Amino acid sequence: MKNVDIGVGVGLLTLSSSLFWCAGNFKDLTVHGYGPDLFPRILAVFMSFLAILLIINAFLGKSLKKEDHIDPRGFLRVLVAIGICIVYLVLVNLLGFATSTFLFLFVLMALLKQKRIILRIIASVTVSIIVWAIFRYFLVIPLPEGLLI
Amino acid sequence: MDWTLLLAGFGKVMLNPINFVFVFIGVVAGIIVGALPGLTATMGVALLIPFTFGLDPIQGLVMLIGLFTGGIYGACISSILLGIPGTPAGAATLLDGYTMNKQGQAGKAMGMAVIASWFGGTIGALVMTFASPQIAKVALKFGPPEFFSLAFFGLGIIITISGKSILKGLISGIFGLMLTVVGFDPLSGAPRFTFGSRELLGGISLIPALIGLFGYSQVFKEIEKILILPAVKTELKNLIPKLSEIKSVLKTMIKSSLFGVFIGSIPGTGTDIAAFVAYGEAKRASKHPEKFGTGILEGIAAPESGNNACAGGAMVPMLTLGIPGDAVTAVLLGALTIHNFQPGPMLFRDHPEIVYPIFAAMILSQFVMLFVGLAGARYFARLINIDRRILTPVIFLLCVVGSYAMRFSFFDVGISLIIGIIAYFMYYYEYPGSPILLSIILGPMVEQNLRRSLIISHGDPAIFFTRPISASFIFIGLFIMITSYFRVKKAMDREAEAASLRKQE
Repeated sequence: MKNVDIGVGVGLLTLSSSLFWCAGNFKDLTVHGYGPDLFPRILAVFMSFLAILLIINAFLGKSLKKEDHIDPRGFLRVLVAIGICIVYLVLVNLLGFATSTFLFLFVLMALLKQKRIILRIIASVTVSIIVWAIFRYFLVIPLPEGLLI
Repeated sequence: MDWTLLLAGFGKVMLNPINFVFVFIGVVAGIIVGALPGLTATMGVALLIPFTFGLDPIQGLVMLIGLFTGGIYGACISSILLGIPGTPAGAATLLDGYTMNKQGQAGKAMGMAVIASWFGGTIGALVMTFASPQIAKVALKFGPPEFFSLAFFGLGIIITISGKSILKGLISGIFGLMLTVVGFDPLSGAPRFTFGSRELLGGISLIPALIGLFGYSQVFKEIEKILILPAVKTELKNLIPKLSEIKSVLKTMIKSSLFGVFIGSIPGTGTDIAAFVAYGEAKRASKHPEKFGTGILEGIAAPESGNNACAGGAMVPMLTLGIPGDAVTAVLLGALTIHNFQPGPMLFRDHPEIVYPIFAAMILSQFVMLFVGLAGARYFARLINIDRRILTPVIFLLCVVGSYAMRFSFFDVGISLIIGIIAYFMYYYEYPGSPILLSIILGPMVEQNLRRSLIISHGDPAIFFTRPISASFIFIGLFIMITSYFRVKKAMDREAEAASLRKQE
């Protein structure tokens, strides 16, 4: 994990220096000397210290060994699933909650290689109707509505 | 101890049948979540919170407490039947439980586990009921310096929950604290790090963050790996152990429960540690330690009463001081905050109408768990076989709906997804998620009390050391940090040594 540690370390250093710098802009609002910039700056200093330690450890060869690896094909599936989720969030306002939820579940189950279509349809219809009904009638929380329900 | 309040609290929960329904739903959901490997009680509570928004706070809380209780017990089902612990809390039960299953005694093992869980859970709940008000009374005298030191002490826990690398645990912790400075500054009203976004003015909400950390990240892991578990075909017979068998483990259960409560009340330790300590102690004190691991009832009674008692113990610092003992109680703390009840000594003074029903719910849920656990054991054994290719998309949906329902905001869904993706990578690069959660909960408490104290003392940091209670929290915090640093480091060194030995072989 040496390279990843160095990368993360540099990233965190950048994050904390920008945090430190941005916090400077709050200063004008300070009334009593311990204003909104104090805590973010303390955190930035701590984080830079830890990031430097992480980088030094990596160069000294003290990085942890990776035990669990990301499976490349599985990772591709995760990316596709996130894509499906984004499409779902768009569709939910167009088609309504129940319909788009059904599609979302149905497609995801297909992505996870559940081959029995009937099972997929039954499971997706049941779950989307139950969740919709709980929110609509029991908890009375407004859900996005579209052309359909 | 105010008995009228306690009785009123019990009356409020027990006399309303609808509360039984909610406890029941919670316990069943908890057992399922606990029994399915990969899903944890923390995630279960986080995903259930959105379903409590529209409910009366008491009904919502009793359901969450039921889930917490059921979740810890549920872990033992897959330990016994599959040899894979449902959550780390059930890992110690595996040693004797799975062996008993292989000997054809799965039913008896499950029955013993339910009874021990109920026993431990009830002792834990009773200790919590009677100890909490006393601690809260003392804590009412705290001022800003004390609360800062207390939060500092709470953050010290990060070292013990860091996993393999303390450095990475600390990085996670500080990252979590950084998330808390987004939004309006509560003391001066200045907007911070909002980048002109109106949605960020209120800060990063807790529920989307929780769902990202514990929900989405787990869903992504499942989608990546598509977990296929061996199917359980075990027939459960003779569930209820004989009275003489229960009698023979009674002493172990009492001792393990007391150990469990004590361990639970120390922030930073969790149900898994309680289970292992109880198991280890039962083995050490036993007249026949060599029998442990060969499938004896004591080997199930000890960890199960230990980890369930731990739950009651872990609620004590959360309710009385606002310092969560572990990840699940941190999420429960979040649930209380969302219903506008801020845990801490003030909760006991200002909202006894909510505190005492929590105690009652904790006790009630033990009995419901006993009933559900014994009556439903056969069904839960079947539920482990549930198809993950169907279940994972449903959990994904619950994550989306849950992160939306807090403020009806798609922005929150986005934030939650992003945190989920970060948490997914963090898992692979050994950055633990729990310190982030702890920091998000304690961050505002640390910052506000630090600044308030410095304003009171005109900038003199000595204020934290000259007030006795504050000073003792700081010193205990430092002590815990230093000792756990060495303990964790020693454990890691030992592991590394064992790994290199294995390599040589």
